[in-house]
Amino acid sequence: MGLTQQELVLIKSSLGREPTGAELAFFTSHWSEHCSYKSTRRWLRRLPGRAPWVVRGRGTDAPLVEVERGLYVSFKIESHNHPSAVDPYNGAATGVGGIIRDILTVGAVPVALLVNLHFGPPDDPHARWIMDNVVRGIADYGNRVGVPVVGGETWFDEDFTYTPIVLATCVGVVERDAVPPGGVEPGDLIVVAGLGADRSGLGGSAFASKVLEGGEDPGAVQVADPLTGKKLIDAVREARRCVKYIKDLGGGGLATALAELAHWFFLGVEFHLDKLHLRDSSMAPEELLVSETQERLIFVVAPDKLPCLLSALEKYELPYSVPGRFVEGGRVRAFWRGVAVVDVPVELADGAPDIEWPRKAYEPPPLPDIPEPPLDKAIDVVLSSPNVASKERIYMRFDFDVGVRTAVKPGEGGAAVLKLYEYGQLGLVVKGDANPRYAYLNPRLGAANAFVKAYRNVAVTGGVPLAAVDSINVGSPERPHVYWQFVEAVEGLREAAEALEVPIVGGKVSLYNEYGGRPVKPTVAVVVLGKIADVSKANKAVWRLGDKIFLWGVTKAEVGGSEYLKRVHGVVAGAPPSVDYGAEREIVGVIQSWLGRISGATDVGLGGLAAALAKMAVNSGVGAEVDVCKAPSETSRLDFLLFSESNGRFLAAGEEGPGVQIGEAHGDELVLRCGGSVLYRRGVEDLKSIMRL
Amino acid sequence: MHRVAVLKFPGTNGDYDVLRALGLAGLRGELVWHRDYKSGLYDAVILPGGFSYGDYLRAGAVAAQTPAVEHVRRDAERGVPVLGICNGFQILTEAGLLPGALAPNEPPGFISKWIRVRINDVKTPFTHLYEPGEVVYMPIAHAEGRYVPSGSYSAAAKYVESPNGSFDDVAGVARSNVLGLMPHPERAVDRDVSRGGTGGLKLWLSLKEWLKR
Repeated sequence: MGLTQQELVLIKSSLGREPTGAELAFFTSHWSEHCSYKSTRRWLRRLPGRAPWVVRGRGTDAPLVEVERGLYVSFKIESHNHPSAVDPYNGAATGVGGIIRDILTVGAVPVALLVNLHFGPPDDPHARWIMDNVVRGIADYGNRVGVPVVGGETWFDEDFTYTPIVLATCVGVVERDAVPPGGVEPGDLIVVAGLGADRSGLGGSAFASKVLEGGEDPGAVQVADPLTGKKLIDAVREARRCVKYIKDLGGGGLATALAELAHWFFLGVEFHLDKLHLRDSSMAPEELLVSETQERLIFVVAPDKLPCLLSALEKYELPYSVPGRFVEGGRVRAFWRGVAVVDVPVELADGAPDIEWPRKAYEPPPLPDIPEPPLDKAIDVVLSSPNVASKERIYMRFDFDVGVRTAVKPGEGGAAVLKLYEYGQLGLVVKGDANPRYAYLNPRLGAANAFVKAYRNVAVTGGVPLAAVDSINVGSPERPHVYWQFVEAVEGLREAAEALEVPIVGGKVSLYNEYGGRPVKPTVAVVVLGKIADVSKANKAVWRLGDKIFLWGVTKAEVGGSEYLKRVHGVVAGAPPSVDYGAEREIVGVIQSWLGRISGATDVGLGGLAAALAKMAVNSGVGAEVDVCKAPSETSRLDFLLFSESNGRFLAAGEEGPGVQIGEAHGDELVLRCGGSVLYRRGVEDLKSIMRL
Repeated sequence: MHRVAVLKFPGTNGDYDVLRALGLAGLRGELVWHRDYKSGLYDAVILPGGFSYGDYLRAGAVAAQTPAVEHVRRDAERGVPVLGICNGFQILTEAGLLPGALAPNEPPGFISKWIRVRINDVKTPFTHLYEPGEVVYMPIAHAEGRYVPSGSYSAAAKYVESPNGSFDDVAGVARSNVLGLMPHPERAVDRDVSRGGTGGLKLWLSLKEWLKR
């Protein structure tokens, strides 16, 4: 989708002339939905992003959150849905590369990646092709650059068979004095470093701003080069103290980078496209402006510090050029062989006008009357669901230990824990969650559920939540019910962030995720970052032989949108679980007071109490006998008790523990009872194979 | 103070992990960029894991052709302890400092896993503090770790259960003062992040004791 008629008129009237070919390319790319957020930013502004510990918030390449005096953490999420649909290997790999480079812009050392992946059913050949290649793309990139994939989530749903939702989050760490300070002035130089420009990813942002129709040109997908990505990571670590600013050259290419740089610093920019280093010398200026060649960064450096930067780039044999500089006045100007091919005011360059689309609400299908099935069979069905199953088959492909910080590794607990050696036992706790079924049934409550679920996972693992980033992925905003979904999702996130007092410091919106005329279920992912004072006390999802098993929270009759309803009854209906923010906040304090005194803990969520108990048994290699009817509940139905996905709950194990004791860990079988009657009995080894993806 | 070089190529990614492990053992490692590495300066040299030159060719093949590895060869011939971990091991076999080759895993694909490793050769500078046959937990993380011998070799370490189809379960190979290991001893040194003890620490302590001799 190119510029609209109104946008063209605005450009012409602002310039007082016809735009040049290069200017048209510039605006088409930078004013694309992907780069400009023109349909969404008015709503995103409503998200709370401030807190005393937020040093830099939304709207920049990467935020900064202070976790300890003088120590900042940056984290950000990226979607790479369209590229992953067309070329899943490169699409996923460049998503990872791009989000790492965002984190490099604050001078941070990337220490972890999380991936939230949404595919079609694993037994569908096309979905399988996408999944295998997305996983390989992430592994080949992450493993090569030495940033561990430590967690995330994998979700399967028919909606994502041809339109995967591929989200990558990067976490980086930087000391305060190593953050490039900004303060850019006229005369400062613009250095482009990394791969020479070529035609890969040409117009990628415009491509990601429309619906895929089949037969897409794979040339719009960027190509990954992790070796160069790794060299950039190393070069930033050496050069960060001699530059003023770093900017990723990613979506939108130079057009976006130059427009944003000029806008942020309220300065003019002069850029000589013919001085840019290239891999393909046949490229025209308008192509150079919008090429999304990967593995490139822009460094802004004072002229006297240029040698310091260049020595790092030369050490790592990174190609570079110095094609631009900041100037007085507010114009973005790009030259080609001495002739200005772009000459636009900064406000216009970065000023795509807002678009508001019509909205139309819908009601989800109501919960039908569902019969109570044979429970032992139902438990097996829910446990064997690919959404509940162990994702070892995926994460074994990732080098999750490189960096030697991963204290709670993939599959071990509700959230990943990373040790920050530089600060003793201090650690980060991080988790990303989404539930497209919930968000489809009720986008506002679904978004809130994603938030509290990530928050609770961090809390139960032992973290104190500090900040969040979000990713909203929906269909075409031109469909009134989709635009409504988006706005509702933002509202749900706002509500949760305010009530939990966890600021949203960054985010990403991806629109036009559709296939065959059908938008995907809205996928609202929230990644929550917290800290833990002593990583050795973090809770894994385990119990020890002889432990008592405790359940915190109340189980309500909440099976709307549940895994149980979908897998056992084939229904996606009803309302997602209700959210009680006060109860969620209370859990943080409860867990903190028990840290180090319990053997382990895990959140109760997808698949309900049955899935949480089975997961702990499998992870521990120890069975248990549990009376589920001891669980505090507001339902008399046993299937609801076992599978309800009510919020505000977690399991803990130990000699003592928080909540109500419902069982004891022993033997090599998981036995679920209600009083005297046995509902389910299965060996732990059996469970392990049932829960294998 | 002894000088222990941690040799870095483009794409090396275990460099800081090795530096930290050396530090825990009371040694101070020096990060040395491959162009700066010269023989005769260091008392020991570690080639960490990673993907040197992206491993776009055979793993380790490009790094094996660099002048730095020629200097490592000279040091090795003079008796300087040399350890290659993962990609470092691949570089040492590609350069002929260790016999055999590391072929793609069988079944194929990258695998990340904590695994039991038996230390067989306790005469090397890096293993002399281990008991013969001592079993330690270490992680592996590689796609090309299937050892294929050529001629005679000394299996310094073996997998208790082979994850990659390695010949005779070989996990590490030694030739006098040169050791190559596919598992990562630098990742099994900290109780908080280790899945099974800190069995890697003895390797770094072995080096420290050896250098005192």
